[in-house]
Amino acid sequence: MRRSTFFSFVAPSVMSMLILIALPLVAIIYLSLHQSYTQMEIKEVKTEVPLFGGKTREVIRNVPQPVLDDNGNGIQVWEYVGAQNLKNAIDTEGLSAAFKADQELETPRSFIKALFDEVRDVDFWSALEFTLIYTFLTTPIIIILGFGLALATNRLTERLRGPVVFVTLLPMIVTPVVSSLAVYWLFVDGGVIAASLEAMGIGKFYFLADQFTIRAVIVAYGVWYAAPFAFIILYAGLQTVPDDPIEAAIIDGASPWQRVRYIVIPHLSPLFAVIALIHIMDSYRVFEPILVFGSRVFANSVQYLTYYTLVFEDNIHKAAAYAILTVLGVIVLLIPIMIKTFKDQKAGK
Amino acid sequence: MKPAKLHIVTRSIFGLGLWFWFFVALLPFFWMFVISLRAPVDAFSTPPKLFAPMTLENFRYIWVEDGFWRYALNTTVVTALTVVVSLTMASLAAYALSRYRGSIGFWLLMAAMVFRAMPHVVLLTAYRPAFFELGIWSRYETLIIVLVAINQPFAIWMLRAFFMNIPQELDEAALVDGCNRWQAFYKVIVPVMWPGIVTAGLFCFLLAYNDFLISSQLMNGDMSTMTAALGSYMGQNQSVARLMHGIAGAVSITIPIIILVFVFQKQIVSGMTAGAVKG
Repeated sequence: MRRSTFFSFVAPSVMSMLILIALPLVAIIYLSLHQSYTQMEIKEVKTEVPLFGGKTREVIRNVPQPVLDDNGNGIQVWEYVGAQNLKNAIDTEGLSAAFKADQELETPRSFIKALFDEVRDVDFWSALEFTLIYTFLTTPIIIILGFGLALATNRLTERLRGPVVFVTLLPMIVTPVVSSLAVYWLFVDGGVIAASLEAMGIGKFYFLADQFTIRAVIVAYGVWYAAPFAFIILYAGLQTVPDDPIEAAIIDGASPWQRVRYIVIPHLSPLFAVIALIHIMDSYRVFEPILVFGSRVFANSVQYLTYYTLVFEDNIHKAAAYAILTVLGVIVLLIPIMIKTFKDQKAGK
Repeated sequence: MKPAKLHIVTRSIFGLGLWFWFFVALLPFFWMFVISLRAPVDAFSTPPKLFAPMTLENFRYIWVEDGFWRYALNTTVVTALTVVVSLTMASLAAYALSRYRGSIGFWLLMAAMVFRAMPHVVLLTAYRPAFFELGIWSRYETLIIVLVAINQPFAIWMLRAFFMNIPQELDEAALVDGCNRWQAFYKVIVPVMWPGIVTAGLFCFLLAYNDFLISSQLMNGDMSTMTAALGSYMGQNQSVARLMHGIAGAVSITIPIIILVFVFQKQIVSGMTAGAVKG
């Protein structure tokens, strides 16, 4: 294909990505370097205060009011503040204080404690903490669960496989806001799960009122939501495992577990890597369960933190600073994938 | 792989595990369907009841009196146009990427991979002030073009995987016969690509239909999509009656998806495995 033809084919797609994805990435850098406010001035306001018998008294007060332009709109002032927004977001002062605490006491324990307090107190660090907990807890679980389900489904007859795949697809395909809500309604106080656990005599739970349980519920949601993805990929992978080595292994007297361990798992290892990479990218932007469970105080995510700052605090500059930090995180996560793809590309040439 | 002959205990562990997963996967949806058909008193009673009188009142209220049909209409317009436009643009680009040998194609794919991983809130942060300034807030065109752009990286990667499977000889033959690239694309390649295009279309549909973050912020009031409108029924300080309407809304959103999975199960599975399993 000629270069010019190539460009005309990709032009619409590339243009849309440039304007609506690449340009916003540049824009958030600009936004985070600035601070804006409505220009205010102190004005004398005279008001007539009624006293009694129809008499009034004139009161003069100094009231801050927005400066208006010719059209009667407030004037927005944009000010360059450099990296100040970013520094506030990651709380550099608090961080360096944590390091100083270490120098004074010189025990690793006190240092860890200071760092831990910092993580708990600063929005960004606590959001990052739970995002990483969520990501790195769910990844191994969905791979193991998905593999187990794939092996179990592989044992079924043809007629049963269809329904199993159908049911398994639902948690993953149904609108995440809706599926989060569906899980949320199971765990509300006095809901189905809490009542069942109480009836079984395990204890009384208020899942949404405690940091540990709400985090556990969100992680469980993440597993329920993402395990189907691992299952589908690994189940498709199982169909490609060649029969010859397995038959040879049977003749050599390998147990079923040894066959899985030494033939199936090595055969599927590229798939495990693909699942882990895609899932890590997706769970880094976990959003819906945090929104639906209203768990911001106990378990926040970087994407929800940015959303909250943008929508509820209405502070685009602070949100832009969080957004930049989020993008940096994405890039760190992507580097291994990009290096691998780059090597594959070179090897292919 | 043929299943191995297992000891009875191991076999029953596998069987039970699968049944347990079946139960766990369905339970949240099952319960949501059940309580959507109840009066508020029965839906959130303590302890929860397994059986209670059923009513369609929640659905009647939300669709007839709350105007949920308007949100459904918005969703239909937005998702249909998003799917058509995304597929047109992405299949052109993906075809070119599968046939072009230069290194620029590789860098484009890498950029698309980075874009695919971008959390959507990052983009929203920039859209918010920009669209407000431009005065293009809460319009079909705006949401559609944004969703199309967000769809591109994923659609390109998936469609490219499908195009790679179509032998180059096919379009070369068309070129020899006197077609130019465009004619070769839509007369020869597109007709054999329909299965791949349908599969990619399903995923574009799901992305547009399921999106809450962008849709809820770019559209307001009567222009909301169904998923975004759900936001106004949620929250801790809503009355139980309103919450019940929200549950009916959530079920209304789920039903089309269940039908979709039922009809297109094979395509969804092949789409998910297209990129991963083949390499």
